[in-house]
Amino acid sequence: MKALVLAGGRGNSMAPFSHSRPNPMIPVAGRCLIDHTIEALRNTGVTIVNLVVGHKQEALRAHLANGDNSDVTIHLVDQGKAKGIGGAVLASRSQFLPGEHFLLVYADTLAGANIFSVTLQSFGMSNGPTAAICLTQSAEKYGNVYIGADMRITKMVEKPKKAGLGNYVLAGVFALPTTFFDHLEKAAGNMEKALMKLIAEKSLRAAIWEDAWLDMAYPWDILTANKMIMDRWSVASIHRGVELHNTIIRGPVKICEGAQISPGVVLEGPAYIGVGSFVGHNTLIRPYTCVGAGCVVGHGSELKNSVIFDDSVIGGLCFIGDSVVGQGTNIGSGTMTINRPLDGKKIQAAIGRTVINTGLEKLGAFVGDGAKVGASNILAPGSMVAAADIIPHNISYPRRGGR
Amino acid sequence: MCGIAGVISLGDIAERLVQCIHNLEYRGYDSCGVAMVNGSPHIHVRKNIGAVAEVSEKERFSSLAGHTGIAHTRWATHGKVTRENAHPHSSCAADFSVTHNGIISNHERLRARLTRDGHKFLSETDTEVIVHLVEDYFMKSMSVEKAFVAAIRELEGTYAVAMISSHEPDRIFCVRKESPLIIGLGTDANYVASDFNAFVDHTKKAVFIEDGEYAVVAHDSHSIKSIATGEAVCREVLELPWDSEMAQKGGFPHYMLKEIYEQPTVVNSALDIDEAKIENLARLTVEKNLVLTGVGTTFYITQFAQYMFSIYGGATPLALSSDEFRHLARMNKDSLVLAVSQSGETYDTLTALRVAKNQRASTAAIVNVMGSSMARTVDSLILQGSGPEICVLSTKAALSQMIILTRVALEAGVLRGTITRKEANARIKDLRAIPDAIERTLNEKSGFIHTIAKAQSHINHWLFLGRERYYPVARESALKMKEVSYVHAEGMPSGFLKHGTIALIDEKMNSVVFMPPKEQKELYDLSMSSVEEIRARGGYILGIMLEEKGKPPGVFSDVITLPKAPSFVAPYLQMVAAQLLSYFTAVTLKRNIDRPRSLAKSVTVA
Repeated sequence: MKALVLAGGRGNSMAPFSHSRPNPMIPVAGRCLIDHTIEALRNTGVTIVNLVVGHKQEALRAHLANGDNSDVTIHLVDQGKAKGIGGAVLASRSQFLPGEHFLLVYADTLAGANIFSVTLQSFGMSNGPTAAICLTQSAEKYGNVYIGADMRITKMVEKPKKAGLGNYVLAGVFALPTTFFDHLEKAAGNMEKALMKLIAEKSLRAAIWEDAWLDMAYPWDILTANKMIMDRWSVASIHRGVELHNTIIRGPVKICEGAQISPGVVLEGPAYIGVGSFVGHNTLIRPYTCVGAGCVVGHGSELKNSVIFDDSVIGGLCFIGDSVVGQGTNIGSGTMTINRPLDGKKIQAAIGRTVINTGLEKLGAFVGDGAKVGASNILAPGSMVAAADIIPHNISYPRRGGR
Repeated sequence: MCGIAGVISLGDIAERLVQCIHNLEYRGYDSCGVAMVNGSPHIHVRKNIGAVAEVSEKERFSSLAGHTGIAHTRWATHGKVTRENAHPHSSCAADFSVTHNGIISNHERLRARLTRDGHKFLSETDTEVIVHLVEDYFMKSMSVEKAFVAAIRELEGTYAVAMISSHEPDRIFCVRKESPLIIGLGTDANYVASDFNAFVDHTKKAVFIEDGEYAVVAHDSHSIKSIATGEAVCREVLELPWDSEMAQKGGFPHYMLKEIYEQPTVVNSALDIDEAKIENLARLTVEKNLVLTGVGTTFYITQFAQYMFSIYGGATPLALSSDEFRHLARMNKDSLVLAVSQSGETYDTLTALRVAKNQRASTAAIVNVMGSSMARTVDSLILQGSGPEICVLSTKAALSQMIILTRVALEAGVLRGTITRKEANARIKDLRAIPDAIERTLNEKSGFIHTIAKAQSHINHWLFLGRERYYPVARESALKMKEVSYVHAEGMPSGFLKHGTIALIDEKMNSVVFMPPKEQKELYDLSMSSVEEIRARGGYILGIMLEEKGKPPGVFSDVITLPKAPSFVAPYLQMVAAQLLSYFTAVTLKRNIDRPRSLAKSVTVA
């Protein structure tokens, strides 16, 4: 079977990490999101993946050219000026033969286990269009679907919060016949309209997904995704070339080739240390921390539930908690992220000009790619540092303009 | 719903065929049979009533020789469970044999015509007309395929049919219209079946037949053709990942959720039960001293009925848990013991009925499984028609029992003159609103209930509280929570709180209150005062109530607001909401939902 994976969206709400990469290139648990998706597709028996790319596609192209994707043939389709999900789907039409079926996957969603095989199986029971559905905490963001005892989707409400509804939503995975392209064309490339048409004809079937599911919309979702994948780890794996002296390791910790772990480091799994990274003396790496490739973590720092992209430097004596640090960033010594407001309220964060309630009680900072944070800075809960931004050292002596 | 299967190979296939229908048993299991072509001009048919394993042993299915065969497992909806009515059905000359799933809506007309032409019918089923019709056409064309197509063209209704013939022993002919049927392509054999499950152990390659098409399957090939034009159809061969458990559940992750979603249909079936039957039973309950009995869920259902009889029926019957029945019952010839059981095989309830009979009481039962021990032994019977319930926990069958008993109680009220016919009809009309309201509850509230269940899944102790008819609903809902999520839950009358239980309330003890509608003002106020008492002690409290005018009271920690509906149906909807609460708690805690530890579907032991 073939798959159609949509990876061309702009993902603006993922700022400050979206300006230099498409969402599927965000690293979680040591690999890019797209790698996790392709692996799950391969495990389902998919042999051909048509990947629709657009926004910042060079990064994705370069990554896939270097990656090991044996058993799966990947065709890249440039969505060009095509708009929206429907446009991206239509852009790939020529990759399919009439009478075929395909798995349609939104690459910025992530499921706790293999959602694709569940969807395909449900598809096998009706041989008709099938949509995976799931229950989420934030039902207001997605269409609310109604299902009958025969698992047919009978209705879809687009603004469920207004109507006071909370139910199953579309999970971004579909099994569709190629005739769906015709539906989509008739609906002028509007995905929702095309789906509504299928629902009106009573021909869209549901596959209920009860395991974990995530739509990667906001920067803090990176931490959830990282945890979702790390929670599946059951064993530690340390590359045989890695030398450990006086290191304490608990739980499933993965340490890659060429990593240098200095004496006195404590690693509490699940945690990940990427290829060629350096971890300084007496550093504490707490659960759900992912340090990418080529990073430096200075002496005596503490990292907790955080994702550090490749090639970043975190100086000595830092505390990085519930935070995401972009690629090639430099965080000066003694920098602290505060991850908990004293009033115990849910933390708010600004995406562009919109302030969003994250619903989280603990959240640190988000530092964009290439940013430089000077020494001794203190970053507020939910703060966003723009890509390539420079925050000066926080110098208390000599005071500015005098002694 | 029934399951059909066919296997065609070069060697003997009997065991594989039996396995196929065994795998389809979830579709129905009250009778089954196989038919085989093995060189003789007569097709051999073996069938009987019972589950596949039982009948297969008794009728020695596996010893049938032959390499082309069809089989069937049945769940009777119309027509009795008898050996004659079991499939497969054969033609007069026993040269054709068919199995069928679905309903032939014009069977009466066809049967009359065929009978006139000299065909002899052995069963009451609609299926039998198909095979006689084919036989009839075969006389004219002497081509099995032509006869098959000609017969199909005359059929109206929904069907999936598989047919074998001694005239073409190396073929299985099949067709479908709105009932499922697929072809499986194996290495040494080909299969036809209601679904993938039948042959999943042998092959994962399948071809779908669409409405308006028929297929001819041989051991190494298959062809699909259009019924209208006879033109061959080219169809993709699919190889799919398959988990036969999930497929049996119709794609639902668990039988429990599937059965919860079947409730709108099941309520309609309960409301469509013949009025005369309800009236007969109601008359008996009025003429005699009524004692209701059941155990576990069905005991709580009888408790609910006790309130309905008391409020509407004009008299308060006894409701005894059937395991304690013999210790309490003092029956005589004026007593009527009305038992409630999904399986009709519950040991404790059968014992209660035996005790009642020994004390010369009349007996009656509300049972889901046709042909069960209870169905065969009671003086008066109402069949629920809720369809097979596979999950060990009773959901749809219990709701159906509530509806049926409510109908009986209302009718008893009319007979006694405590309520008018007009009022009874108004309440029945209210009940008719339930299917739609359940659909809305399931499709609009699942997300909220899921969120609550997830957030409270760390809690190990719950109180389920209610007053009046909401009290048995609270007890039944607490039982669901215990059974499926292994979380301690106690159902009790709210009035008990201040007589001791309230001492338990702290932040580790959650409460659920089944709120009456506001129009039951006194009850509503009493229930609210219980809520306040719990709130004052810092306990979490979840309210389950109908959507009514005004905001829900702010004193609750969480509220499940059920869709607007007549206030009479509140307890039925509350039960559905509580089913979902237990279900999602169990999902979050990763429990074995359809087979909870230590529990069995029908408790047939003491």
